[in-house]
Amino acid sequence: MRVTDRLIFSTATLETGRAREAAEQAQEVVSRGTRIQHPSDDPAASGMIIAFNMSSDRFAAISSSAAAASDELSATDNALDGIGNALSRARELAVQFSNSTYSQAQRAGGAEEVAGLLGQVVSNLNTRFGNRYVFGGTKDGAPPFDPTPGPTFGNYLGDSAARNVEIAPGMLQQSNVLVGSMSTDSADPNSVLKTVQALQAALQANDPVAVQATLDGLDAGINQVSTTRSQVGASMNAFDTAISAARTASGDDKVRASKQGDVDLIESSIQLQATQTALQASLAATAQSCKLSLLDYLR
Amino acid sequence: MANLLSILSGAQTSLAAQRALTATASHNINNANTPGYARQTAVLTTLTPAEQVSGAFIGRGATLDTVTQARNRFLEAQIPQALGNAAYNTAESDALQAYHGLDPEATGGLGSAISGFYASLTSLAQNPSDAGLRTSFLGAARTLARTFNRTSGEIESARSGLDAQANGLTTQINSEAKAVAELNVQIRQARGTGAEPNDLLDLRQTHLDKLAELAGASFVPTSDGDVNVTLPGGVALVAGSHSGTLSTTADGQIPTHLDITFTQPDGSKLGILPGTAFGGTLGGTLSARDGALLTSGQRVDQLAYDLANAINGVHSAGAGLDGLSGRLLFAGLGATASGAAAGVTVAISDPAQLGMAGAPTPPATVAPGDASNAQFLLGTESAALPGGKDVRSTVSDIVSQFGSSSATAKAFADQDGALKDNLTRMRDSYSGVSIDEEMITMQQAQRGYEAIAKVIQTTDQMMQTLLSIKT
Repeated sequence: MRVTDRLIFSTATLETGRAREAAEQAQEVVSRGTRIQHPSDDPAASGMIIAFNMSSDRFAAISSSAAAASDELSATDNALDGIGNALSRARELAVQFSNSTYSQAQRAGGAEEVAGLLGQVVSNLNTRFGNRYVFGGTKDGAPPFDPTPGPTFGNYLGDSAARNVEIAPGMLQQSNVLVGSMSTDSADPNSVLKTVQALQAALQANDPVAVQATLDGLDAGINQVSTTRSQVGASMNAFDTAISAARTASGDDKVRASKQGDVDLIESSIQLQATQTALQASLAATAQSCKLSLLDYLR
Repeated sequence: MANLLSILSGAQTSLAAQRALTATASHNINNANTPGYARQTAVLTTLTPAEQVSGAFIGRGATLDTVTQARNRFLEAQIPQALGNAAYNTAESDALQAYHGLDPEATGGLGSAISGFYASLTSLAQNPSDAGLRTSFLGAARTLARTFNRTSGEIESARSGLDAQANGLTTQINSEAKAVAELNVQIRQARGTGAEPNDLLDLRQTHLDKLAELAGASFVPTSDGDVNVTLPGGVALVAGSHSGTLSTTADGQIPTHLDITFTQPDGSKLGILPGTAFGGTLGGTLSARDGALLTSGQRVDQLAYDLANAINGVHSAGAGLDGLSGRLLFAGLGATASGAAAGVTVAISDPAQLGMAGAPTPPATVAPGDASNAQFLLGTESAALPGGKDVRSTVSDIVSQFGSSSATAKAFADQDGALKDNLTRMRDSYSGVSIDEEMITMQQAQRGYEAIAKVIQTTDQMMQTLLSIKT
């Protein structure tokens, strides 16, 4: 091949340019930590990275809302625990004052305590978590059990709608429990609030027989609280499992996206070293080949 | 016997020939870095007729026969095509590489806006009466709409940038075509003197190379020495001493882009030329504008249209906290997908109006905690859009398809660039100037010149000897 000066210089320009471009790209890959700067770097992986990241975000959102539902159920459980304790105490008082040896004044004292317990139960039934009353169904805005003293006290103002929260894309889990049957206006003659009210009335009336008659209702109420707590526990388990599964799925998708796009630092560092060495060699060779000329030897 | 004066005369001519040799070497050295220059060689020949003396022929020295150019027609015939292809793919690749709106790792892209929308909706579905979550979801919906607006705007902006580039290129092409037409005339005139106008041919070749690079033009030499230039679509850009003119005009569409119109070398108007009528940088620029970028823009429009309509369909069935249903979440959509991404906005400004609850049957009112419609809205994330794929796969496809088009253009640009570089290097090897060679030629000419001077000196001494016989 005939070597001309323009060939020498254009080859030098081209080859050093290529070597510099390769070194530059290798440096960018190492400094950015990702091998995909533009979809054309790997079209299939680019699409997958977006899909994996979207999927990861979706699972992270599910995990976060399931955690909120779980926290709310935890508050629900605490409220039910309070109601259960109050009912147990009311039952103790009913057993105690169904004994005919107590005086009217003592039963009146008991009635006072039961009134307090009734208030405690209603207060627990009106437990609020954040902006929402946990026992009101979907009627979040107002206390579901009427706290106003009077004939409507303890009436249920909520609805019977289930609230559902996603535990996986398209899969829902109920995140509330419905306890409208504990209200004073319930169809159940032995509803919790009716029974506690009846106990209070019996104690005030100093009627040990009527006091004793409330025991069945109180037992039924304690059982209802216990059963409801079991439902809450089951839901919490479902949400806790969902949180864990969604976090794992989110993490897995992030890893998948990362595998597609992130660089292997060892490999890319070696590549950087290799391209920089190639650039040095190219520059040295160019400098050397440009040096040699007949001009230096002619006098 | 040879005449001493004829020896001197022959020496004089030979000196001139050596000077021509040096001058040509000097011209080569001067143009060693001139693009398109093909090295020239001064061809010396024996001066005839030789003098016949006593039955023998005695030579009369050397003279310059011609100055030739080192041109490899086989290589040069391949170069315009290679230049055009490399320029086409490089222009397309550069244009697509410069658009980063669909980068997979970029923050604030379509993927993350859609994810953010559904993440906010997931939180709101868990607690639809929370005013903060409602506001946050409305914000996410606005972000989604603005991301569609921005993505569409960026694509259009990239396409408008290519319009500006195409406009500049047409001016350059016109100027190069005019230069070729003028050189056709000058070369014809120069050839009339009987000599080959090497430097004019070089200059014309440089302009032809430029036209191949700018417009993918091909060339047809004519029998009278002109070169006619044709665009890839078969349109004549240069015919003899006349050149056509490209100009740009608004296409009347919204958004507006440029059409390229053509006035033929004979002055008649040909009207609008399609993008396929051009190769080279202009063809690549138009291909990027009307190919991958346009397709990506249309697909983003289609996604915005389908997704917004799917969400609107579900949202309008739900009720806001005021109990009213039938509201659309997204507005700004027309009857077709065209322009949907640029126009989509959020129709609702009051978070309370977000239709997260099922529509109540009067006299029932909306329960603030009712998220039944929010759950249906979440279903749009995984439901198939009219295109047959869900939103995630659609976004993924848009990115992959754009990436694939860019990667193909880049691969072709690299491949054609390598071919062009190879041919150019081979041409440089064949036609380029070697300073070493020229130095040797100059040395050779110098030696010859010195030797001829010695001949003159010797002849002069002989003449003096002859003249001194009488005195």
